[in-house]
Amino acid sequence: MAGLTAFNYLPGNTFLHVLDVRVKLAALVMLSLTCIRADLTESLMMTLCLLFLFRAIHLSFRSISRELRYFIVLLLIVFLARAFFTPGRPLIGIWSLTMTHQGVSDGILIAWRLFLIIMLSLLFVSSTRPSDIKVAVERLLAIFPFISRKKVAVKVAVMMSLILRFIPEIVNQAKETLDAQKARGIENRKNPVYRLIKFAVPLIRRTFENADRLALAMEARCYSENRTDPELVSTQKDLLVFAGVTCFCLIIIIA
Amino acid sequence: MSIIEIKNLSHRFENGTMGLDNINLSIEKGTLTLIAGRNGSGKTTLLRHLNGLLLPEKGSVLLNHVPVSKNLKRARQMVGMMFQDADSQIVGETVSADVAFGPENLCLDKAEVDIRVNQSLRAVGLENYFDQRPHLLSGGEKRRLAIAGVLAMEPDILVFDEPFSGLDYPGVKQVLEQIVSLHKTGHTILVTTHDIEKIIAHADRLIIMNNGKIIKDGVPDEIVPGSEEFGVREPCLSHMGVRVRSWLD
Repeated sequence: MAGLTAFNYLPGNTFLHVLDVRVKLAALVMLSLTCIRADLTESLMMTLCLLFLFRAIHLSFRSISRELRYFIVLLLIVFLARAFFTPGRPLIGIWSLTMTHQGVSDGILIAWRLFLIIMLSLLFVSSTRPSDIKVAVERLLAIFPFISRKKVAVKVAVMMSLILRFIPEIVNQAKETLDAQKARGIENRKNPVYRLIKFAVPLIRRTFENADRLALAMEARCYSENRTDPELVSTQKDLLVFAGVTCFCLIIIIA
Repeated sequence: MSIIEIKNLSHRFENGTMGLDNINLSIEKGTLTLIAGRNGSGKTTLLRHLNGLLLPEKGSVLLNHVPVSKNLKRARQMVGMMFQDADSQIVGETVSADVAFGPENLCLDKAEVDIRVNQSLRAVGLENYFDQRPHLLSGGEKRRLAIAGVLAMEPDILVFDEPFSGLDYPGVKQVLEQIVSLHKTGHTILVTTHDIEKIIAHADRLIIMNNGKIIKDGVPDEIVPGSEEFGVREPCLSHMGVRVRSWLD
């Protein structure tokens, strides 16, 4: 069920839920950029903070690990690539490839940084309504004088909110397609390319069909870019959080 | 008084097949009309012309004497449409956000949107699910949510495309109760189905379609015998010559 995926808004009234979405979006951008400069101690500190925040919004670690399992495979590939192709003091040799000490430490740090960015995004998506994200993106893009609000900012914001709406839909569809294929013995076919094609083609086709049905349903309910948007209100608490995150990022970047 | 008038309406699909073939139809205000027919008979295509999701290639569709194509926003506000697949109709991240979607598109102010959301959720008995995630609702509840989403736009006409498909018995009863109560409050209702037994006791009129044409049109009791020829199962009681009873009794 889509409701069980973590890449979905989780209704709630926690500190993160009530925080102004513009502050959350700005914090996401700043912290993601800061992650690139963070060393092991700083990464560990950020990880602990994130774990605390996940706990605060009642998102279970089991659900997070289930959602992130494919990203973890990707991060493993990144780690192995760095570990084997960074020059340095040899650690282990496999065939003609050599894993180096520098490669291992570089790989761990880069994979960790990417993991932090994914966790930050997950935290943001789980605690923010897509309709609020749409408005925040629209308002933040409108700050730039070279971006036309009507032509570009609104369209980008609508696209972003629809993508968020579709992530659980695609995850659901993928699970259903996979189950249907398992029920018909796909696991007996050992060729991964064959399995990938048989999985991807119906998944893409059904995702487009669903997108088409959703577009029709939205049209039937008078959807347009000019609509009543949620009101965004900033309080002193929001400003304090923004100032705190900015200071944190500056300290890490300057240090 | 006719609220919907369809004159000489034809529609051809991109692959060349005829979706609708010279349909002439007039629907009276406040009636509950059942449109039945086998899959591919043109029921959904006909409904999609009522709110401008499809525009007439030939002929015209008038709502209160105004062509649908002249003012699409008016048509979509006036004709609330419930799709066959309730899941694909849900756009909100919570029950209340989904119901608010339509009024927000009508650019109503926030206070009015909130009033309509509360009224619509109360009308379908989902007021306790305000912050629930829609995907966690049961099949019957999802259909009721779709109804609430449409009711919040205050339409005069409600169109249900196969409202009972995939629902269990309690789900069918929940949706049927909703349709009957909306009919009682004066809404004009059109329901398409190939399984008429569930709702025929409440219908004022039955229309049977086949190959994009209207084959039969009249009072349900008179039309039902012989409907199986067009892919519409005749209710058991009707087979025995007894008047079909409501599923709500």
